[in-house]
Amino acid sequence: MATFVLELRCEEIPAAALPGARRQLAELFAAKLAEAGFGELPVSALSTSRRLAVVVRDLPPAQPDRREELTGPPVKVAVAADGGPTPAGEGFARKVGLPFSELQRVVSAKGEYLAATVVHRGRPTAAILAGLVPQVVAELRFPKLMRWGGGEHLFVRPVHGVVALLGDEVVPLELFGLASGRATVGHRVHAPEPFELAAADSYAEALAERAVVADPGLRRERLEELAGSLAAAAGARVHPDPELVAEHLELVEWPGLIAGRFAERFLELPPEVVITTLRHHQKCLVLEGAAGELVPGFIAVIDRRDDPEGLIRQGNEWVIGARLADAAFFVAEDRKRPLAELVPGLERLEFHRVLGSLAAKAERVGELAVTIAGLVGAAVDRDILRSAARLAKADLRTHMVGEFPELQGVIGGHYLRLEGASRELWTALRDHYTPVGFDGAVPESELGRLLGLADRLDTVAGLFAVGERPSGSKDPFALRRAAQGAVKIVAAAGWELDLGAAVAAAAHQVAEHAAEGAEGLGAALTEFIAERVRRWLTDVVGVAGDTADAVMAAGWADLPGAVARAEALERARGSASFRSLALAFKRVRNITEGQPEAAVDAALFAHAEERELAEATEAFGRRLAALLPERRVAESFAAMEPLADILERFFVAVLVMCEDGRVRSNRIALLKNLGRRFMQLADLSRLQVEGGEL
Amino acid sequence: MDLQSLILNLQRYWADCGCLIQQPVDLEVGAGTMSPETFLRVLGPEPYRVAYVQPSRRPADARYGENPFRLGRHLQLQVIIKPSPADIQGLYLESLRVLGIDPAVHDIRFEEDNWESPTLGAWGVGWQVLLDGMEITQFTYFQQAGGVDLVPIAAELTYGLERIAMFLQRKDSIYDIEWGGGVAYGAVRGEDEREASVYGFEVADVAMLRRHFEDWEREAQRCLEHEPPLVIPALEATLKTSHLFNLMDARGAVSVTERVGLIARVRRNAVASARAFLGQRERLGFPLAGAWGA
Repeated sequence: MATFVLELRCEEIPAAALPGARRQLAELFAAKLAEAGFGELPVSALSTSRRLAVVVRDLPPAQPDRREELTGPPVKVAVAADGGPTPAGEGFARKVGLPFSELQRVVSAKGEYLAATVVHRGRPTAAILAGLVPQVVAELRFPKLMRWGGGEHLFVRPVHGVVALLGDEVVPLELFGLASGRATVGHRVHAPEPFELAAADSYAEALAERAVVADPGLRRERLEELAGSLAAAAGARVHPDPELVAEHLELVEWPGLIAGRFAERFLELPPEVVITTLRHHQKCLVLEGAAGELVPGFIAVIDRRDDPEGLIRQGNEWVIGARLADAAFFVAEDRKRPLAELVPGLERLEFHRVLGSLAAKAERVGELAVTIAGLVGAAVDRDILRSAARLAKADLRTHMVGEFPELQGVIGGHYLRLEGASRELWTALRDHYTPVGFDGAVPESELGRLLGLADRLDTVAGLFAVGERPSGSKDPFALRRAAQGAVKIVAAAGWELDLGAAVAAAAHQVAEHAAEGAEGLGAALTEFIAERVRRWLTDVVGVAGDTADAVMAAGWADLPGAVARAEALERARGSASFRSLALAFKRVRNITEGQPEAAVDAALFAHAEERELAEATEAFGRRLAALLPERRVAESFAAMEPLADILERFFVAVLVMCEDGRVRSNRIALLKNLGRRFMQLADLSRLQVEGGEL
Repeated sequence: MDLQSLILNLQRYWADCGCLIQQPVDLEVGAGTMSPETFLRVLGPEPYRVAYVQPSRRPADARYGENPFRLGRHLQLQVIIKPSPADIQGLYLESLRVLGIDPAVHDIRFEEDNWESPTLGAWGVGWQVLLDGMEITQFTYFQQAGGVDLVPIAAELTYGLERIAMFLQRKDSIYDIEWGGGVAYGAVRGEDEREASVYGFEVADVAMLRRHFEDWEREAQRCLEHEPPLVIPALEATLKTSHLFNLMDARGAVSVTERVGLIARVRRNAVASARAFLGQRERLGFPLAGAWGA
């Protein structure tokens, strides 16, 4: 058994491309080796910033032999009377490459035939690999390809060397105009000299001796361990940042770490600015103290073992100091005038070609927020709402947001706080872009929640109006995320809000731009928001898809109510009586579909079961009338349960579709009556229950 | 190392690598890439090797000489080598030595950073080179220019000279870096930056800029319609429109919608100039085909 290693040595491969490249390499090798008859072999893909590699273990020296049973011509045609071959018999023997005398005979329903077992000798493994490797490499997909030099080849980055070793032998092949061999190089600084690999087995070890850790998993372990101990030595801890660590381990061959410091005075900057500078711009790990507060230090990942003269730490500290000083400069510039002075200039910033300036948007958001405040009975001053809506966009004109667009809102809030604004107001500005989708906290103040909701509804309504609707994977304005944020705010605010009315108000303000008019726009928006609500119910509340459908069919504009009903139904639906109720309700829906509402006449009852159902329906209705206004949803669903048996008895005893038209209509009216009450909670016919159709 | 030594050392180094030492294009441009020495020479089958300093104007980046890290006009040292040699990364790392940077004691990284210029119909793939966390060079393999797929491929190296000087001299302000002979950068250029900011943000006459944009756009088209097309005059007129656009933009006179349209107009002439250049080289029989031992 031998090990095979393939290494493509490249110029620095983009970090984002490497995880996908490893996955493809491992999958393609495993699939193609299995296809060639090798069965399942241990395949592992390795990489660093400068090489892609795959290691296959337990390879036999040759492809396993393959036996093939071949059936030839019928014996009566192929064998002459003397037992010797006819021309047909000779032909078959020639075809299978055996003497006629070694052919076998098989008997089938159709008669006796010549047959032969042909053994296809497996080709040497090296020959198979020489053919298979170029196929795998050609099938690798990358986000972006490039050419270099003469332009003959296309790959993620220029390729400079190909190692292909099976055991201790080179597998001869050619890739990117390079002949395979056993030579590679170690780390660019620590071991740049070319060296020869003795055998495939020792690939990772040979590289490790030359300051290259080929296994990304090992690099991760090393990184995390070192980061922890460096932070501890600095009396702090690393702010957990798995995304950044995942990126770093792709950016290096040897993960080294250094700790550095920055001047205390930068802690006066908004912490978000310091974090963005360290994390996004310098890709440093952020350090925090015991209470999660920023400390004036950082950890930088370097691609080498050491910092022999301390120059690397000094350099990183200088760059971070310079970047923070740059940010501090912009903060000082911005603060030369109050934020409110930037409001008038919003007229010159375009929100959307058709929808107009940011000033126009801010006005719409203000009015919508006032409407929503009315709908929820919020105790917020209307004028404060309108002015907060204008102020909220003012930071888009600051230098800081110009430099750090991802800090919109945060910057405005920070400046307003320094200006001495109320906590309610400055947090409203700070928070009004969160949550992003379903992620992140809901704004701290009522003002912030109203602003955040109005801003999102206006954005979604406006862009829907001008035809910029998401489709498939295309959502350039992130409207799904905006609508999800709106849903989360409403769900978390605990408002008794008619979301439908809020959506309609948002649509009304931009209806002039909508080709299909206010009504069509409202309908499209409602459908879009409904889909986000369903997602909230399934992904966040955690109910089954059909539970969400059943509850939403009974209305979702009162979102907290819909959430409560969904939770209650999800708990209740497991019971036997609910299964029976769901099946019975399907039947009720089928019978009453399209039938007019009518009063139930007790005088027409012919069965005790009819009377029983009528009384139970009335009682259930009274119970709902008492429970629902107090949102006692679980009890409401519990009140449904006794109806399971009553309905079952009813359907056994009573034929609804009877001959007598008046009796039939009365029975339909009775069921319709019941259905209407059920529909205050959920459309149980949408639940998928075992037993299916009755 | 002072700024001028940085320039002299890099020029000497790249000259030794076979590059022609060119002078900056004598027009206002936003980057060394816009010089015909890059934008046109990366096109077509002929080899080319050139290095030059290009003063690069970005009116919107000017900060009245007050921000210690920002300039409205900075210096780039641009290197183009076509076709890109196999050891281009090694050549680049070697160039750092002449700046007094010994790669053995620093952390030098090549992090993905692809480049695109909508104005030039150009894009490339490459990295930003980081020295101890500081971006010192943009390294790009040109893939397309003027909307034309490139073969062979040129490697472009762009050194940001003031940034490198600041970093090497550990200065907290661009204006404090030493230019040469003990003279500070700010003493030479500080007032330019202030005036350029006043002009770009407050004084520039937008109506005049618009008029000139239209004029030079038409002039570029006239040069392109000439038989045979006048390539360099057409590109130069186009570069003027590009700079006029930048001035209008800095002045806040370009709406988001208009912006897209104006960029498209500059690109149209840039792309046409690129195609005209290819025609011109072919007509001349690709005179540089055998240069640099190719």
